[in-house]
Amino acid sequence: MSDLELEMHINGRAVKRRAAPHLRLLDFLRDDLNMTGTKEGCGAGECGTCSVFVDGKLVKSCLMPVGKANGARIETIEGLAPKGGDLTEVQRAFHKTGASQCGYCIPGMVMAATSALRENPDAGIEEIKERLGGNICRCTGYTKIFEAVEIARDVIAGRLSAAALEPDPAGNSFIGNNVRRLDAPSKVSGRLRYAGDMVMPDMLHMQVLRSPHPHARIRVIDVSAAHALPGVACVITAADVPGEDGFGVFVHDQPIMARGIVRYVGEAVAAVAAEDVLTAKEALRLIKVEYDELPAVFDPEDAMKIGAPVLHDYAPTNITKHIPIRKGDVEQGFAEADLIVEDYYETQQVEHAYLEPEAGLAYVDHDDVVTVISPSQNITHHRHMLAKIIDKPINKVRFIMSPVGGGFGGKEDMIYQGMLALAAMKSGRPVRLVYTREESIISTAKRHPARITYKMGLKNDGRITAVEFKMISDGGAYGMSTEGVMRKAAILACGPYDIPNVKIDTIGVYTNNTPSGAFRTFGAMQAQFATESHLDICAEKLGLDPFEIRRRNMMQDGAITHTQQTLGKVSIGTVLDAAETASHWEAGAPGRGESRSDLGGEGTRAPCTLGARFAPAVAKVKKEVA
Amino acid sequence: MLTCDHYLMPTSLEEALMLWRGAPSGSRLVAGATDILPWAREGRAGDVHLPSLIDLSRVKELCGYTVEAGKVRLGANVVYQQFLEDETLRRHLPAMPFCAIWFADDQIRQQATLAGNIVNASPAGDGIPPVIAMNGEIEMARLDGDRIVRRTMRVAEFLRGPGKTALGPDEIVTAIICESMEGYGGSFQKVGQRRSLVISSVCAAAFVKTDPSGEIFEDVRLALGGVGPVPLRLTDIEDMLRGQRITRQLVADAAGLPADRVASRTRRDYRRAVVRGFIEAAIEDALVACGAPQPGPAQREAAHV
Repeated sequence: MSDLELEMHINGRAVKRRAAPHLRLLDFLRDDLNMTGTKEGCGAGECGTCSVFVDGKLVKSCLMPVGKANGARIETIEGLAPKGGDLTEVQRAFHKTGASQCGYCIPGMVMAATSALRENPDAGIEEIKERLGGNICRCTGYTKIFEAVEIARDVIAGRLSAAALEPDPAGNSFIGNNVRRLDAPSKVSGRLRYAGDMVMPDMLHMQVLRSPHPHARIRVIDVSAAHALPGVACVITAADVPGEDGFGVFVHDQPIMARGIVRYVGEAVAAVAAEDVLTAKEALRLIKVEYDELPAVFDPEDAMKIGAPVLHDYAPTNITKHIPIRKGDVEQGFAEADLIVEDYYETQQVEHAYLEPEAGLAYVDHDDVVTVISPSQNITHHRHMLAKIIDKPINKVRFIMSPVGGGFGGKEDMIYQGMLALAAMKSGRPVRLVYTREESIISTAKRHPARITYKMGLKNDGRITAVEFKMISDGGAYGMSTEGVMRKAAILACGPYDIPNVKIDTIGVYTNNTPSGAFRTFGAMQAQFATESHLDICAEKLGLDPFEIRRRNMMQDGAITHTQQTLGKVSIGTVLDAAETASHWEAGAPGRGESRSDLGGEGTRAPCTLGARFAPAVAKVKKEVA
Repeated sequence: MLTCDHYLMPTSLEEALMLWRGAPSGSRLVAGATDILPWAREGRAGDVHLPSLIDLSRVKELCGYTVEAGKVRLGANVVYQQFLEDETLRRHLPAMPFCAIWFADDQIRQQATLAGNIVNASPAGDGIPPVIAMNGEIEMARLDGDRIVRRTMRVAEFLRGPGKTALGPDEIVTAIICESMEGYGGSFQKVGQRRSLVISSVCAAAFVKTDPSGEIFEDVRLALGGVGPVPLRLTDIEDMLRGQRITRQLVADAAGLPADRVASRTRRDYRRAVVRGFIEAAIEDALVACGAPQPGPAQREAAHV
């Protein structure tokens, strides 16, 4: 391997270095120069967290071999505002509008916004959207980001006073007033370090061997060749776990690495900690695992059939959790109904796709405290579980929560922290693991897919007399948050409606699919999708306005829910009024088709088009031809 | 992850050809690198180690373009962003700005080359339909002893199937040569699953030239991508329209023809439905670019009653 001799100007400073020939500009900046303001979200040019200027042109540094940058002028997020100096107008505008939430996409977003305004200081909103098209944000919905770019544009052009970048005057309450985020300056400047940005002296790099099979018995794992490879500090498997191996939010059914059996494709089987990532990857290829494949089940309804492959001995029916709720008498409710509507709803598995892939750094400190730094959304729970797993008293286990570059529930499960702790204990050195995007997608929890059968009885005036709701949900190979998600789905199954007779069943089921876990709304979304869709269908059948059918059934202040909770204040009436006004809704039953007059009005987004930047040129040509 | 023993950056064509001829088996040429890096990841090629990567982006003979005798010769290093930003290219290749704006994003377009897009020979390569509609040719060079020899062939013949081309093992693509379409209106249609950074499910390119009255099709060029192993030129529809009076009905009739040529292995019915609308929209947009009035939705609907 022949190193490249590189010379470039980075943020105004001359840099001369040798670098491995395969490095990307991103690796060179982050690993060789420790400039971690530039992030890696996908490594495939999709997300834009790695945007930097090369000779004045914005590029994705994950797609640029470092050789291409040789001799170039590089500008990174660290170079926009000099150390200790003022933030740029773009950065201040991001701070002002609250455009930085988790912050992981923000350095790239600020770079793309800066590029857009350098390329065209008068760019309109459509052109700004286009020019930011290569950068993804998962938290904000983009509105605040676009708002920030427009403010920055107008301040730079002098159309808007610089005072527009200052905080709004404080009001009497945080509610209803814009309050700037305390952590925004560290995010818009790229100074905030996420777990994958952290380094420690003598740090090792971890790589994980994952199961290619959905269900198999592990006959033997031979790590001797991997362990013998120079540069490898340790190889760990389930055999290295000193304590009671099992984690999960409700049932501790998941070992930190597969123990005897793999239950889904992508499950961790062994892990290597080595001097660098390449050595760790090479060591993975030397680990020999012999599997005996077992019959697998991928459909939750098949999994509940007699004779289906069983995933966990404690659950011979493969049911992780069944939550039944009964109120009143549904049969009598249906008998009283003028109309009974039955339907079936399905939602799919969804990936959280936070911009920050999982990452963590673990070490054993001078007092033998096993310390794990990671963007964990539940460090106290993780700490208690890990203490049992590694058989240490609780005061010898510490979790430090690093900034979470987007979680949405996906970082509630202790999927990799146990491996890091074990490797740090075994090697006596700090160990870091940074997931690739592919690894994050293949191995971490997803939103529970749901199949919902719905039966609703109604009077002709729209009053609901009874609901029968059954949801079967694929929980995947391990329990994780399934029980809680089933509870929440059952609690919220009927929405904010006062229904006298209710029969609800939510059932989470083990399969050999990727585990399902916590995800924004935690089971409510699946239930609401069915309930609200069903209400619209019922409104159409009864010739009722969809707002009206909801008002006739909504809970009032003091209502008692089907789980016997008394609600002091119920706001659905206010919410319905606000939604009706904001949507310019024209009252009437669904199914009016084109005859309605409230389509395509104010606030309606035009279909997706591109080319805003040369629309004036096209218009000019048209004019000349005409 | 892509690793290599050597990353080489020749600055002349001769040096590049020498390096390429001497490169150990398994070495690769690199243009923009925007495809090879994502390719060497889990789920596609996985971890890949190559002996040498020969980066052509600093080969001076491959940079820039010339316009001469009705032809535009695009050096192999011309990147997509130039089709958006360069006035001369926009005038001579009037569908290319619309193609470029739908191609990846502003950042990737700074690196990604049209030549690289063609050599990849993806059935969904966005740059290919406009190039074949412009009777595009591809120029390749190789060493014969110490002498550089070149050959050119039609891009339509160069592409042999998904990922397959007529490029020889010791050859390097040096240029893409297109007819100048100055005076034509150009357009490009694309559908995928998002706005930026999306691979086409179907794409279509059109160039239209009208007579001075603006009422007769003087020339029409049409091509489709994403509908089979290689992009399709629609010469029979071009022939059907050429010399005819421009009517909405004629355009609608022509647009109905190519659906049965969709030979993709997946989502065939969807693609067939899309193709009809795309041909019509491509012709209409190209006419608008020539100065015709923008049709409203009602006029568009009327032709299908």
